[in-house]
Order: sequence, then C-alpha cells, then structure tokens
Amino acid sequence: MATYEINIGLIGEGESFPVEQLRIGDIVYISGKAFTCRSRLHRWIFDEGHPLPAAAAERQLLIHVGPIVLREGTPNVDETFKLVSFMPTSSIRFEKWGARSVENWNLKMIIGKTTMGEETMEKMAELGCVHVSPQSVSPNLWLEHISIENVELFDELGTIEATWLLTLDKLGPFVVDIDTQGNNLFDLLDPVIEKNREEAYKMLGIPEDFTYTKLYGR
Amino acid sequence: MISREIYEEVIFQTIKRGATEVQQDVVSAFESAIAREESPTARSGLEKTLESIILSKKNASPACPDTGWPIFYFKLGNDCEFEGGFMALEEATRRAVARATKQGYLRATMKHPLTGFDPGNNIGSNIPDFTYKFVPGSSMEVSYVAKGGGSECFGGTRHRVIAFADGVTGIKKFVTDCFIDSTRAGAICPPSILGVGIGGTANVAANLAKEAACLRKIGSRHPEPAFAELEDELRTALNSLGIGIMGAGGTTSLFDVNIEYAYTHIAGIAVATSSNCMIARRATSRIDADETVTALCEPGWFEGR
Repeated sequence: MATYEINIGLIGEGESFPVEQLRIGDIVYISGKAFTCRSRLHRWIFDEGHPLPAAAAERQLLIHVGPIVLREGTPNVDETFKLVSFMPTSSIRFEKWGARSVENWNLKMIIGKTTMGEETMEKMAELGCVHVSPQSVSPNLWLEHISIENVELFDELGTIEATWLLTLDKLGPFVVDIDTQGNNLFDLLDPVIEKNREEAYKMLGIPEDFTYTKLYGR
Repeated sequence: MISREIYEEVIFQTIKRGATEVQQDVVSAFESAIAREESPTARSGLEKTLESIILSKKNASPACPDTGWPIFYFKLGNDCEFEGGFMALEEATRRAVARATKQGYLRATMKHPLTGFDPGNNIGSNIPDFTYKFVPGSSMEVSYVAKGGGSECFGGTRHRVIAFADGVTGIKKFVTDCFIDSTRAGAICPPSILGVGIGGTANVAANLAKEAACLRKIGSRHPEPAFAELEDELRTALNSLGIGIMGAGGTTSLFDVNIEYAYTHIAGIAVATSSNCMIARRATSRIDADETVTALCEPGWFEGR
C-alpha cells in the first residue's frame, strides 16, 4: 500500500501517471483535467446516440458526481460557476454502460463512490484503467482542490447531469479499489465479512440451519 | 396565530440548518468512533469527515451535495393556530424548498421518474413529502430530513413479512442480511444509523423504519425493554462485522440501531429497514403560539410515541 500524487492530463498531451503501477489499497491525490458524468449523460450518449462533447472527449479522467454549482451572472457575458458541494456518487449503478465508457471514452481513471462490476473490471484490465473511491464524506475539504473550467450540455441535461469540465489540484485522498490486474478491494473484503456474518448470527442466536417459512409463491 | 411569514422563514432556516449543520449527537458519534477505530485508513476517513462537517457548519455549505429527498415532519399542537391552514403550510414549505435549492443549500435532485424532467427546484408530484403528528399544546414543530440517494437506493431500505413461526430470529436475520448487503463497497455511506420498523402494514413498517433512522437521537433507546434490548443486541452484533467507514473495513460499522413498532396482524409481522448515512442530516425548529422561535437539537418525534 503506497501513497501517490499523480497527474492525469489530456489524451496524448503532457505526462500522465502510468495507472498500471497502481494496486488496490493504494492512496492517490489526483491532479489533472476531468469531466463529470451521471446516468443521464450515459443514456444521452449510449442509448440516444449523441456524441460525447469534444471538450470532454479529450479527457481521460472521469468523475461520477453530481455537484452543487451556483450559476451566477449572464451567460456569455459575466457568467461564473461557483462549486458549492462535491462528493462522488455511486459508480455501480452505471455498470450497464461501464465497459463502453472505459473503451469509447479512452479512460485511464474513474473517481466514484462504491465500485464497478465484473464487465467494467475486465475492460479496465484490458485497456489500463483504474477506479478510485473516497473513504470519507468530506466535500468541504475537497472544494479548494477543484476548479470549474466550463460546462457542456447544461441546457440539455440540467445542472447536475451536465458534464462539468474540472481542473483538479491534488484532490484526495482516494483509495484504488479496482486496479489494472483485475483486482477489486471490496472482493477481498467479502470473505472477511462472510466469516463475520456467521459470528454475528451466533451472537444473535440465529441457528446455522435457519430458513424462513415460505409464505407465498409457487 | 402563527403568521405565514414566520413559519415560511422558519421552515427555510430549518432546511438550511439541516443541510449544512450536522447535529451534535452525530458529531459525538464520530468522536467516539475515532477514539475506538483500529484501522488507520478508517480512522483517517472518520477524521476527514468530521473535519468537513465542522467546516460545513462554519461556511454554511452543504455537508454533502446529495441533499436527497426533501422530507418534512410536522408535530402540531392540537390548539396550534397558523395562518392559512394546512394548504398554506404545505405551499410555504414548497416555496422554502425552492428557495433553498436556488441558493445552493439543496441540490436540484428531484426529477420525473419516467421522463427525467428536472424542475430545478425539487418540487413535483408528492415531493416534498409531509408527515404530521398531533400532540397537546399550541406550538408547531418542524423537522426537515435530507434523505440521501445512497442510503435510500442501494439496499438501505427493504421490507419483508416474517412469519410468527420465524419470530424474533427471523427479524434478526432479515435485518442483519439487509445491513450487510447495503454496506458493500460503502453503498449506504456507513457507519449508518439503521432504522427498523416492526409491525403494521408494509407502509407503516417502512415509515416507522425511516423515522427511526432519521428522527431518533444516536444513543437513545426505546422505552420498552424488549425493544431496547433488541436495539443493543443488534447494534453490538452488526458492529462486529468489520465493515468500517465506506465499507472498506474498520471497527465501526454503524452508529446505532433504532427500532419502532406497531401492533401487527395475527397473520404475520411486516419488518422494514431504513438506513441513514453517517452524517444523518436533520434539523428541528419550534414556533410557539407567541411566535417565539427555538432551534431544537433533536426532533423529539417519538416523545409519547
């Protein structure tokens, strides 16, 4: 388990950290150029056939997040965006689109809560992409490490589901939960929790052979 | 008579407080979890969250961007008089929610379930949600709960009917399995506050579970010994699971288990669970008949049950 300060730049531009070096359990602080995405943008692209906006497509760092942003001033005149709150949202719900997002969007890293499933993990191992997640709920420590550059699809998808273009400056700590070797941090924990479940049953006096009375169904 | 202007402003301030100021019982739960935590990674996560919570209050900034479903609990004195009656009260609440959203205290999270239409103000069919309780006296108390999507959508809220043949053992197994499922990879943002509703029809059990998760103070115990003992027993057993903050392993898996109950049918026992995330956002205010306003540190929703 190591701690890294890493940079993820635009595709083909500047030096990006080789994410293949990262292993599950490693802690990262991330700098670079990111774009955000939730369900609506995945659907917009993969189910409705729209292209990913060019300013997002040149980025290889995706954040699953719906931030609170205050939009002030007049569009195209003196408009400003103020980031009010930021906490990655659960990635697992995007699993249906996960593998395609890694491949079609050339991703090197996804920041999101929870983790992704097997199909996305396979694609991540094949193409060299990792998933990292926060081990705290600490938006107010993160705000000063994030600046908003711009937003795409604001009118089409709304303030939360639009894709925000962000510059990150040592944002973290996040833990690597999927590495490029096909490992998942939470898969490793599952057998530990299963063993503890048996102990919890014992503490609660639930017999090993307990089954529910079947109340309905064929 | 409590004026519309007063109650609308109090509701707005209650929303703002709920979204930005995490309550003292939750802060204390973090402090004792930090003292107990054996995993350095988990301890660091607890410390960072507490640090963020303190900043959130100082900067009047949301403790988490997912301000969730806007949910309101009104405890109304039987002799409470307020301008415009119930329809005006609900309209004022909707206006307060829209204002809090516009000012960035709430995220515009509520959308149409089929079309995806986003009204941008968290107002729509059956949203916000209102629950009323009538008590002696002439005061009005309003509690606002920010019920986040993580704790609500990813297995934190479940329901099952337990046969009398399976009894308390069946209840314990269901609650344990729900909790384990919902905490994988930190889905419900543990350490959680786990609410359990026992009895009534399915919706009664589900409402009691939600109220137990969101409106009971951490460390409070049900006045009936049978339920208080079950709360203690489940809290100890579930805290031995090693789930830890955000499900990545650690000493503290939940902050508390709160149970509420209703009498049930002789045919079976509806059991529901509802989880609240670690920062358990809520706020309560009281307006007395003379329009004195008090910010309360706990909802007192179950006083007198």
